[in-house]
Amino acid sequence: MKKLLKDPIVAVGAGFLLLLLLFAIFGPALRTAQLHGMANSSHFDAVYTPVSTPFAAREGGLWLGTDEQGRDIVARLAQGARVSLIVGFTVQLISITVGVLVGVLGTFAPMLIRLPLLRFTDAMFAFPDILLAILIVSTFPQSGLGVLPVIIALSVTAWPSIARLTVTQVATLKDREYVVAAKASGASTFYLVTRHILPQLSGLLLAVSMIDLAGTILAESTLSFLGIGIQAPNPSWGTMINTARADMNSHPIALVWPCLILSMTIFALNFVGDGLRALLDPKSR
Amino acid sequence: MRLARALALRILFGVLSLVFISFVTFVADELAPGDAATIAAGEKASSTEVERLRHTMGLDRPWPVRYVEYVNNAVHGEFGKSYYGIQEPVSEIIARSLPLTAMVASLAVIVASTFGVAFGTIAAVWRTKAPDRSVLLLSTLGVTVPNFVLGPILQLLVGKQYLDILPPTYEAESSRVAPLIIYLILPVLILSARTGALVARLTRQSMIDTLQQEFIRTAIAKGVPKWRLIFRHALRNAILPVVTAVGTSFGFLLTGSFVVEVAFRIPGLGFTTIDAIRQSNMPVVQACVLVTGAMFILLNLVVDMILPILDPRIRESQV
Repeated sequence: MKKLLKDPIVAVGAGFLLLLLLFAIFGPALRTAQLHGMANSSHFDAVYTPVSTPFAAREGGLWLGTDEQGRDIVARLAQGARVSLIVGFTVQLISITVGVLVGVLGTFAPMLIRLPLLRFTDAMFAFPDILLAILIVSTFPQSGLGVLPVIIALSVTAWPSIARLTVTQVATLKDREYVVAAKASGASTFYLVTRHILPQLSGLLLAVSMIDLAGTILAESTLSFLGIGIQAPNPSWGTMINTARADMNSHPIALVWPCLILSMTIFALNFVGDGLRALLDPKSR
Repeated sequence: MRLARALALRILFGVLSLVFISFVTFVADELAPGDAATIAAGEKASSTEVERLRHTMGLDRPWPVRYVEYVNNAVHGEFGKSYYGIQEPVSEIIARSLPLTAMVASLAVIVASTFGVAFGTIAAVWRTKAPDRSVLLLSTLGVTVPNFVLGPILQLLVGKQYLDILPPTYEAESSRVAPLIIYLILPVLILSARTGALVARLTRQSMIDTLQQEFIRTAIAKGVPKWRLIFRHALRNAILPVVTAVGTSFGFLLTGSFVVEVAFRIPGLGFTTIDAIRQSNMPVVQACVLVTGAMFILLNLVVDMILPILDPRIRESQV
């Protein structure tokens, strides 16, 4: 850990991610408490309720002003961070579970299950992600399901890369001496996989899933930008960028900030993920 | 002979991918709420009426029969009719929007290759100096900044507010104030950013490797001028990374063309697809995704076939 944070770029990236996490967890509630006096609604929530006139100036508690509906931009950025992280983490959790399972089955299962599974993984991997995600999203009704269609679409597209990684890693790990020794002393395949192989794999999976998390957040924002991802009134950085484009010449602030925070997040996740990967898997350098 | 076998296997995988994508689009249409019969019957139709229509349209036959029919129709360029508007045949919608997408994407590939090779060469020649550093920084930005961030930010910069030099959105249909190319400069630039950055990095690396090889040292010893050394001897090796980078970039180009077309309101295939999804216009979505996916598979196939022809080393490793 210390060795990792010695790299200044990784340290800055990790610091940013920590701040982003705090912002996503506490931002919406803090802003609601802070701006309570400015709005006169009984069920006040800074993310969804207008606090001032549309495109109000930066003054008082409104650090970045308001958006086209008079809602606080900071609160919406915080909620956008929350949406992105929730979608991102859920998708990573699902895709690692499915990916590792398929990867392990693809190595140890009998030929009749193994081969079709591997070919199917290859086909899914070769299929362009965005196209599959768009197709899956299009099969759901356009409103009322919240983040569910996006999570399903992105999970379906994310697992094949994890599965392929697992297959190649497990293939080398299963021939290591200590695994062969354990096998020779009568350990079951299940025991070998859970006790000897997967623990060795966990570090690399963590690093890869950080880089993949960047990809998932990017994909979620892309779908939202295209208008088929996270639906209004829920904020997502992608939706915020899309809606802010209409008035960008008169109110560039509403456009610039989501762009900035999204790009920083992608940078930070890539830097930390690359640093982690280089530390755990020297071959990838 | 073994090369022929490798190529045959590659083609077989391409065909299987096509079958896979046709099946996935077919299933997507099955899963989507509503079908051609409910649309044709209208909103007020009773369920028996919808059932009767479904029967006359053949929609109640078992799915394998309909899947074969779907593939057969698709091969003949027949994709049914749009659910809404004047119920235009989907094939005509595709024929209208595909050329625009193809044009923007191929321009982007040309721009990415030209700038990528130029910047990559500059970086390699002035290695570790200022030009190299700026190229590396620029390519890092090009790879990581999302194109739907780059797009609006550049639109903002060139728009009336700041520079006022280029039109921020595509308007070739409504008012022909400027030639088409003026409207396409910004979209093409944004679409080429990521591929260009990749080409630049690969060109830089391969130029650095090549410049250290013995035949270059021999050429220097023989007194070949520096520019001739770079262009005639070293740069010829750079064509390969370009093909590789373009080959691995079709995925980005695809995502990018969706984003760029929506951002600039270019009525290409991507814009049409997104528009159709918003209206739940399944026949259009299905056909657009099928055509885009088929193009993606074919382009990848072509690149994989070209690479061993260009480079004997790959030819050797494949057999």
